[in-house]
Amino acid sequence: MPNKTKPGLGTLRRRSISLLTALAFLVLAVTGVLAFIQPFSIGIIGLHALMGFVFIALVGLHVINNSRPLTSYLRSKSLWATLAITSSLTLLFWWQPAPVKTVLGWSGNLGPAMERFEMRDDEMVFDYAPSPDYKMRLTVKTGPAHATGPPPHVAIWLENQGGYHIKTLLPPTAAPELPYWSFKHAGWEKAKREAAELGEVDAISSPTPNGSFDPADYILPGDPKDSTPYQLLLEINQPGDKQPSLVFSVEIDNSLPRTFQLLELRGYPRREDRDGKEAWALYYVDESFSTALELIDSALLTIERAK
Amino acid sequence: MTKKMKSSRRDFLQHSLLGSAGLGLGIASTSEVQAAPAPNSAEPEITQSVDVLVVGGGTAGTIAAIQAGRAGASVLLVERNSQLGGTMTTGGVAYPGLFDAWGRQVIAGIGWELVKESVELDGGTLPDFSKVPQRHYQNQVFTNQFLHAILAEEKCGKAGVQIAYYEFPQAVTKTTDGWQVDCVGFGTRRRVNCKQIIDCTGGAEVVGLLDLPRLREEERQPGSFLFMMDKAHEPGRNQIHRLYVHGADSTNSRTVTTANLTGRQSILTMLREKKGRLMHLQPETSFRESYRIQGETLITVNDYSSGKKFDDAVCHAFYPVDLHTKNGVKPQPLKPGIVPTVPLRALIPKGSRNLIVAGRCVSSDRLANSGLRVQASCMAMGQAAGAAAALAAKSGTTPLEVPLKEIHDLLRTHGAIIPGDA
Repeated sequence: MPNKTKPGLGTLRRRSISLLTALAFLVLAVTGVLAFIQPFSIGIIGLHALMGFVFIALVGLHVINNSRPLTSYLRSKSLWATLAITSSLTLLFWWQPAPVKTVLGWSGNLGPAMERFEMRDDEMVFDYAPSPDYKMRLTVKTGPAHATGPPPHVAIWLENQGGYHIKTLLPPTAAPELPYWSFKHAGWEKAKREAAELGEVDAISSPTPNGSFDPADYILPGDPKDSTPYQLLLEINQPGDKQPSLVFSVEIDNSLPRTFQLLELRGYPRREDRDGKEAWALYYVDESFSTALELIDSALLTIERAK
Repeated sequence: MTKKMKSSRRDFLQHSLLGSAGLGLGIASTSEVQAAPAPNSAEPEITQSVDVLVVGGGTAGTIAAIQAGRAGASVLLVERNSQLGGTMTTGGVAYPGLFDAWGRQVIAGIGWELVKESVELDGGTLPDFSKVPQRHYQNQVFTNQFLHAILAEEKCGKAGVQIAYYEFPQAVTKTTDGWQVDCVGFGTRRRVNCKQIIDCTGGAEVVGLLDLPRLREEERQPGSFLFMMDKAHEPGRNQIHRLYVHGADSTNSRTVTTANLTGRQSILTMLREKKGRLMHLQPETSFRESYRIQGETLITVNDYSSGKKFDDAVCHAFYPVDLHTKNGVKPQPLKPGIVPTVPLRALIPKGSRNLIVAGRCVSSDRLANSGLRVQASCMAMGQAAGAAAALAAKSGTTPLEVPLKEIHDLLRTHGAIIPGDA
């Protein structure tokens, strides 16, 4: 019996592993590019991540199958050069200097968190995209009193028409510095807890938006005609300026869609007793305010809605 | 015998009352007063002359009459209902606003004096104007509607204003130095010769009697019928239940009757359905809209929303653009810093002399009117109209020809805030 094994093509196991590795790489490459270009999709990201685990296993088998030539690579002179290139790229992409950020800015994928905040010397930019069809960007141009060391404390959140907190978009790094947000947020947490204890399922997502805890009821109502206006608020406080925080706001009405809206100064928070309990209310700013009024030059809200 | 019987009857009544009180039924003690005899009360026909006739004793008319009286004019105030205050008292919308904007008071004067005194006497709370309201209505002032009506009468009395309830003009004729107005009430026919008329009827009824042009929409904003079900009404402390009366129209007695019947019948239906207990009911629908005048100037919604400072501005107004429809209301708040103004020319019916209006019939387009029609603004307009009419009567001219500075000075003397003042 002559030997029918064809030389040079390896065993069936080796061939299968190599082909599977190549095909898995193809899927990873395509889903990787799609994940970068398109808005966040759990389908694409899920496929990419799970196929990545399969790819890791296949690469392991591939390394075992080709241990001899791969070991020889480790002894080659190009090892250090490739290590240096890989390390440099890893550090570059991790630190994300301006050019890398620019490239990442081309991505349509804002990630599953749907939000992104950047603080620069001359502006703060906050992106929030609860849906590919509804993208919000808040651009805050800093004023002459804005300092970077330490930077101001900032909180951004949404409220319904009744003035109740419905979602924090950007929590502050030091909550005590922003008492108005802290008060509103604590009230919302308490109301949610009480609703859960009472078993009021409807209170979590209600057909009457002003009684709902679900931000989607306000931001992305099923029918824009049924939507009720909601507010975006920003509280900012510069450490060390010995002045209270300031609160800016803008009303968003999906039934009267507008792309550009400027936030207006609402006031400053002042503590008061309400039936023996601590409460915070906003008061109009007076002549005692100086540099705090120059923290922000302008705050522009841009909402891109699908047509 | 007869005397004894009377005595027994009185004793029985007294014992019954005491017995009832003793049972805890809470019957209050009775005080007595003697009404002053009305002059010529037996005569069905009266003729009198005054400087200023104010028609309508609502939020604008009451203040107009007091201002004219305080300025030294002889004033007759004719009101078709039984009390002063209009929507605040008869309608029950006893939370006037808005006197403030963006942290400062923008409307004061006689209207604020009345509201403030009423709240203080009632042990109520005035809003803190330095506090940012979460929603616009939070700075409305909760007042006791009953107290407001009585204080308004007292202030009219002190200003020398004569009040004529249950009367309304039937005919208005031009004379060489003013007007001859024939008013009718039950058992009363009153002929008034006056130099100036201030039409504060809400729907510009006097302007209509004179066939001067008026504006009116095909469909009016709904009115509100106020009542209280199951809970006690606490005047000056809380808002009461409201029912929209769609199609409510204050054009004439027939449309008002229809609105009242509809409102009351709906409340009855509601009570039956919910098995509720009726604790309070206002006597009349509160109307938002009927006729507006076509004035020498028309305030547009752009004028209003941009806070245009008119050259002849006499007062501020402040409220969101607030058009009520069949689907409810979605107020459009004014942008920060914006405070609309009301020009004198928007209170003067086009082409008229010796006639001025105040209140929700101010010359304005519909959207501007939905913000201008509220009570604090009506009070401010009323005071301005009262000042202009009194000065015109004094100098023998028409309100539009009174030097604006004189009107402003008189208003300032009586506490009003003039646009442009710090």
